[in-house]
Amino acid sequence: MPTNRDVLLVERQALGGPYFVLSFGHPQVAREGRAGQFVMIKAGLSAEPPLRRPFSILAVDPERERFSLFVKAIGPGTRALCALEPGQPAQCLGPLGRPFTAPADDEEPLLVAGGYGIAPFLLMSRELRARGATARVFYGGRTAAELQLREPFAEAGVPLELATDDGSLGFHGRVTGALEAHLDRGGDGRRPRLYACGPDPMLHAVARLAQRRGLRAEVSLDPWMGCGVGTCLGCVVKIQAPEQERWKYRCACTEGPVFDAAHVLWPGEERSAAAEAGR
Amino acid sequence: MSPPNLAVDFAGIRLKNPLVAASGTFGYGVEYEGILDLSKLGGLVSKGLYMTPRDGNPTPRLAETPSGLLNAIGLQGVGVRAFARDVLPRLARHDTAVFVNVCGDSVEEYAEVAAALEDAPGVAGLEINISCPNVKKGGLAFGNDPAMTHAVVAAVRKVTKRPLIPKLSPNVSDIATFARACADAGADGLSCVNTLLGMAIDVESRRPKLAFGTGGLSGPAIRPVAVRMTWQVARAVKLPIFGIGGISSAADALEFLIAGATAVQIGTANFVDPGVYDRILAGLSDYLVRHGLGDVREVVGTLQMPERA
Ligand SMILES: Cc1cc2nc3c(=O)[nH]c(=O)nc-3n(C[C@H](O)[C@H](O)[C@H](O)COP(=O)(O)OP(=O)(O)OC[C@H]3O[C@@H](n4cnc5c(N)ncnc54)[C@H](O)[C@@H]3O)c2cc1C
Ligand SMILES: Cc1cc2nc3c(=O)[nH]c(=O)nc-3n(C[C@H](O)[C@H](O)[C@H](O)COP(=O)(O)O)c2cc1C
Repeated sequence: MPTNRDVLLVERQALGGPYFVLSFGHPQVAREGRAGQFVMIKAGLSAEPPLRRPFSILAVDPERERFSLFVKAIGPGTRALCALEPGQPAQCLGPLGRPFTAPADDEEPLLVAGGYGIAPFLLMSRELRARGATARVFYGGRTAAELQLREPFAEAGVPLELATDDGSLGFHGRVTGALEAHLDRGGDGRRPRLYACGPDPMLHAVARLAQRRGLRAEVSLDPWMGCGVGTCLGCVVKIQAPEQERWKYRCACTEGPVFDAAHVLWPGEERSAAAEAGR
Repeated sequence: MSPPNLAVDFAGIRLKNPLVAASGTFGYGVEYEGILDLSKLGGLVSKGLYMTPRDGNPTPRLAETPSGLLNAIGLQGVGVRAFARDVLPRLARHDTAVFVNVCGDSVEEYAEVAAALEDAPGVAGLEINISCPNVKKGGLAFGNDPAMTHAVVAAVRKVTKRPLIPKLSPNVSDIATFARACADAGADGLSCVNTLLGMAIDVESRRPKLAFGTGGLSGPAIRPVAVRMTWQVARAVKLPIFGIGGISSAADALEFLIAGATAVQIGTANFVDPGVYDRILAGLSDYLVRHGLGDVREVVGTLQMPERA
């Protein structure tokens, strides 16, 4: 059950550049948070910016009643959060949203991340590990400097396949290129099951790839969110399940942020869907 | 000393305290089950409802502005029948007054929506939304013309015995005229105010930040305008008023009560902090005790207005 609390920052770790790992005390998020779920959080009681911001849950520690986030400071809300000192307060509501669904035993879980989209996959790797499965994580960015969350995966023994657009680290090219190379090699032999989180164009590419190869894929979308609980209707996305005649606006906060990639009406594809509906 | 009384009577409806969740910022209420205790609220107003379900506007629908929020949701909703069938029974489990925000593309549709609720149990009153700036038809067109305002309220009056509370638009030069038009047409109370028509532009792309182009501004940025309008409406008519606009603390709520509102609605602050009701209720009690008052009603309309030169 999502719980609203005043929380304290318990630990701040500056990674390179604008990237931080922030840990907060919050018993409910620590106990109940699942990979793909998120929190709405805001630093202190400052009036600006007015709204809380959504962040995927990076890790949970039920014993110490803590959870952590991987935050890229890019604007006023994220900068205020990353400027918190241990012991300082924030307001936090969570855990929110629908998590990724678990793969079947005969499926090979392939986790595809772009930039801060890596956040849910540390928790996901640990959840899979707890079920005796090993995730393979594809982590892409423009340059090596964008791939700051590598150590926790190494510590957890989770294979990380890196990709950079400029070739400064790992596979030279898009993260979907690294993924395709793995698929072309035949993967680990089981049916691949894709999970993706990152910028929209990357998610769209994963969705197309999944469709082309007939694979199941789930994507975590990150539209602008106001409330996190389905009341402001600001974060709606066009979703169309196969049995539906027409798309519907769905709240990414409550009915997502994780959706079946085949159900998402991607920008640019709407026209063809509309045309199809008109036929 | 016993704690001060916070209960108020609003157009014959008993509210256990003067805090009501504003339309469109609290969903249908049930979304907050489990996150906060709905029985702590004086009441809640549903998201705007038409006869049929609506998609609403394209995205982006929200943009943050200094101390404010610009929205062009466009009244996405499930329609009044689904609301009455699926939501009202769930809300009945909570001890709070439920108001329904009634919308229409035409005068007839407003009356139809109101009529559809006439036998629905658990509706305390109807808030008539003649002031939504984010739809192409209806909405503001009714709230910006006193004759149209009168026509809508009179048409709804004919089909319902429930308390009627038109929601006024701030996008007019003389709000008192509209308050009087509502009173003449048989309104039992007034909601004051809806969002202010606004616009924000992304300078890089030179496009509006909202897909609809313009939007409704809410949040602390609009509070002084809303307080002024509440004061003007309170002087113009005898009806009870919901003061609305940028309330996020007890002091903010008190401004409206002192200006003449019987109760207040809380909108954007729901998004910022679902715990806002507890904070405001505690602050209201503190204020009353500090001022030696035993009842929140003693504050209403007590503005000490200096003489103007
Ligand atoms: C489900 C979800 C999970 C997310 N997880 C992470 C994460 O793990 N780590 C991380 O660093 N970031 C994450 N984000 C993105 C993060 O919420 C935004 O970067 C943050 O809101 C930007 O706020 P700001 O004030 O710093 O920047 P702003 O100046 O407000 O915005 C900078 C950019 O971010 C976009 N943005 C602003 N506010 C929001 C919002 N409320 N929701 C979505 N986009 C927004 C703006 O459109 C703009 O392009 C997630 C978003 C969602 C929806
Ligand atoms: C996202 C959003 C949706 C809204 N939807 C409605 C609505 O459906 N009907 C209505 O009468 N007012 C609607 N409003 C207006 C609010 O009820 C309220 O009048 C306004 O936001 C000012 O109060 P605030 O500053 O406390 O938010 C909406 C406001 C917001 C921010």
